[in-house]
Amino acid sequence: MIPSDEDGDEIGDDESDYGFDDQSADIFQPSSKCSQINFVILSEAEIRQRQEQSITSVATVLSVPRIDAVILLRHFKWSVSRVNEEWFADEQGVRRSVGLLERPTSQSTPMAIEPTCGICFELRSVDRMKAPAFCNHSFCDICWTGYMHTAITDGPGCLTLRCPDPPCGAAIGDDMIMSLVSEEDRNKYMRFLLRSYVEDNRKAKWCPAPGCEFAVEFVPGSGSYDIVCKCGHYFCWNCLEEAHRPVDCETVAKWILKNSAESENMNWILANSKPCPKCKRPIEKNLGCMHITCTPPCKFEFCWLCLGPWSEHGERTGGFYACNRYEAAKQEGVYDEAERRREMAKNSLERYTHYYERWATNESSKTKAISDLQQMQTVQIEKLSDKQCQPVSQLKFVTEAWIQIVECRRVLKWTYAYGYYLPEMEQAKAQFFEYLQGEAEAGLERLHLCAEKDLQIFLEGDSPNAAFNEFRTRLAGLTSVTKTYFENLVRALENGLSDVENSRSGKGASSKASGSSKGKSGKIRILGGGGGGGAGSRNGNGGSSRGGGGGDDHWSCDNCTFVNVNGATACSVCNRVRPTAAF
Amino acid sequence: MAGAIANSNLPRRIIKETQRLLTEPAEGISASPAEDNLRYFSVMILGPAQSPYEGKISLLELFLPEEYPMAAPKVRFLTKIYHPNIDKLGRICLDILKDKWSPALQIRTVLLSIQALLSAPNPEDPLDENIAKHWKTDQGGAIATAREWTQLYATSN
Ligand SMILES: [Zn+2]
Ligand SMILES: [Zn+2]
Ligand SMILES: [Zn+2]
Ligand SMILES: [Zn+2]
Ligand SMILES: [Zn+2]
Ligand SMILES: [Zn+2]
Ligand SMILES: [Zn+2]
Repeated sequence: MIPSDEDGDEIGDDESDYGFDDQSADIFQPSSKCSQINFVILSEAEIRQRQEQSITSVATVLSVPRIDAVILLRHFKWSVSRVNEEWFADEQGVRRSVGLLERPTSQSTPMAIEPTCGICFELRSVDRMKAPAFCNHSFCDICWTGYMHTAITDGPGCLTLRCPDPPCGAAIGDDMIMSLVSEEDRNKYMRFLLRSYVEDNRKAKWCPAPGCEFAVEFVPGSGSYDIVCKCGHYFCWNCLEEAHRPVDCETVAKWILKNSAESENMNWILANSKPCPKCKRPIEKNLGCMHITCTPPCKFEFCWLCLGPWSEHGERTGGFYACNRYEAAKQEGVYDEAERRREMAKNSLERYTHYYERWATNESSKTKAISDLQQMQTVQIEKLSDKQCQPVSQLKFVTEAWIQIVECRRVLKWTYAYGYYLPEMEQAKAQFFEYLQGEAEAGLERLHLCAEKDLQIFLEGDSPNAAFNEFRTRLAGLTSVTKTYFENLVRALENGLSDVENSRSGKGASSKASGSSKGKSGKIRILGGGGGGGAGSRNGNGGSSRGGGGGDDHWSCDNCTFVNVNGATACSVCNRVRPTAAF
Repeated sequence: MAGAIANSNLPRRIIKETQRLLTEPAEGISASPAEDNLRYFSVMILGPAQSPYEGKISLLELFLPEEYPMAAPKVRFLTKIYHPNIDKLGRICLDILKDKWSPALQIRTVLLSIQALLSAPNPEDPLDENIAKHWKTDQGGAIATAREWTQLYATSN
């Protein structure tokens, strides 16, 4: 699930033939690539290795035995630099607080032949009496074992075990514990020791995916909090929730809290079946994309989200995807189809419901895409390679498409939390946001549909299909352009849509939507500028003025068609320098 | 009594401790095991001089769990007492009864610590919030209430 480093290499040629300009790839680094600099994923063996390195380093620098180094590192939360600092500032103080007391030189008082153990009060032979390395409080082996067993059973506190004699406080070294406890306790203790390296360490955390045993070490100060674990889980270093760009951790927490508060109200909306808007029979959503086709004889094609006809979605009508728009949906009364929704419309939940349903639907689409991706990697690619007589190495574009779908579903999902918290007063911003989101959604639907349904043809036929190369070009192209679009989207939203000025009216831009977007197969236009009024532009009024104009105070980018404010000398989406002709 | 103890299946440690508690009791403290359960002790602590509990006896129960001495004994006041570190149910907030327990401590040490707690209440680490607040805002009043309760509930020597 981690995008490989050489991704795009082999489709590079196809891509330029296909007409996509990959200039933007130089400017926008994929997030996973940048973040590889700020974190390292560690396996259990690697954690042990690091632990061992730290111990050796402390033992060498401080010239202390290994056991002492372990005790010091545990006390100072595995920070080698802190151990060194504190030790050289005040060795005696450190020794006292961690219990590294001066080792007794010799038995000051010779023991009786049969001493009495101070815990069990039994008479024991001298050889059964043991004292820790840092004091001479002897107890019998049975009592030590019991003492250590109790501590280990109690939890990680056993890692800082002290002499049982109350005022003493001498540390107990690992060697003594290892020599006296049962194998089960030894394993538990070693587990605690390993875990302490991650759990006490401020720069390390466990991957939060259930059952995952990888840890991540983070280098603070660098850009993104996004972590990609080797198990495939994407998560946020800061809040440990699923990776959630472009929303910040605070918004995520607020949103999750909101969801749990509203969960009872929302259960019905997550149902996997809805009545077909035309024939009213219940239709189950079993594919990941939102394009639903009712079962024969009805065969009505509709959008799962807004229940509107699919024909009104996307490029075919020259209008743009608008079912992400809260206002548009409300005005057109498409909520009428369900009695429940009508009830909902009466209360304040309505707005939340809109965003929540889209958020949750993208989440389940993402989950589905993850399992499809796995299926792809384990079974389908082999099958495809067989059917189409293509080496598996030439089919990487399929898994890459699926990796991109998963990533995009996650981003899209979080844009709905973003939208929910977008101040309603900032109209231009909200419109611009919904416009960008709609385009993202449309682009992703196209990619998802292509990877999901179009691929089937090539998995089913008996002989290699001549159209396969065309399919490759299309899917690879869609992957690439969708990736770029989403990267730009994330960046724009993270910047709080700062490119949008509130004064800006949406009018200049809606024209872009129609005329030129019917272009070659599936090119996603990056359009900017308020996109005023969903309904109007969906009907495709307004001519094309691609390339140059966009009104007095705007210019649209030749490369990506984004409508920029006049002051900008470079496109704020793809960074292409504004052509001089447009000035 | 001594004979019964020696013949039982008790760990030597408990037998020794019990014998010592019976033969050399600490001043102001008595602890004696129940006839039918040698891990269950009836305890009496005499209120220390200069404390609001002075001169009166509080009754406590003390139980040695199976894990003793690896686990701490369980101790509880049976006599109602007004003290910031002792709650309505007689439970005691004392570090050595919890995380600071060590198998090298004994019943005797525990009871001496409880006696010391009567001399020096610690409202900063309270078990009963209301009493602790009373103690912090109006120490004189709190001590007076403690004295009243002692007269009402504790037994005479
Ligand atoms: Zn010691
Ligand atoms: Zn012993
Ligand atoms: Zn993981
Ligand atoms: Zn976060
Ligand atoms: Zn239908
Ligand atoms: Zn729709
Ligand atoms: Zn551009």
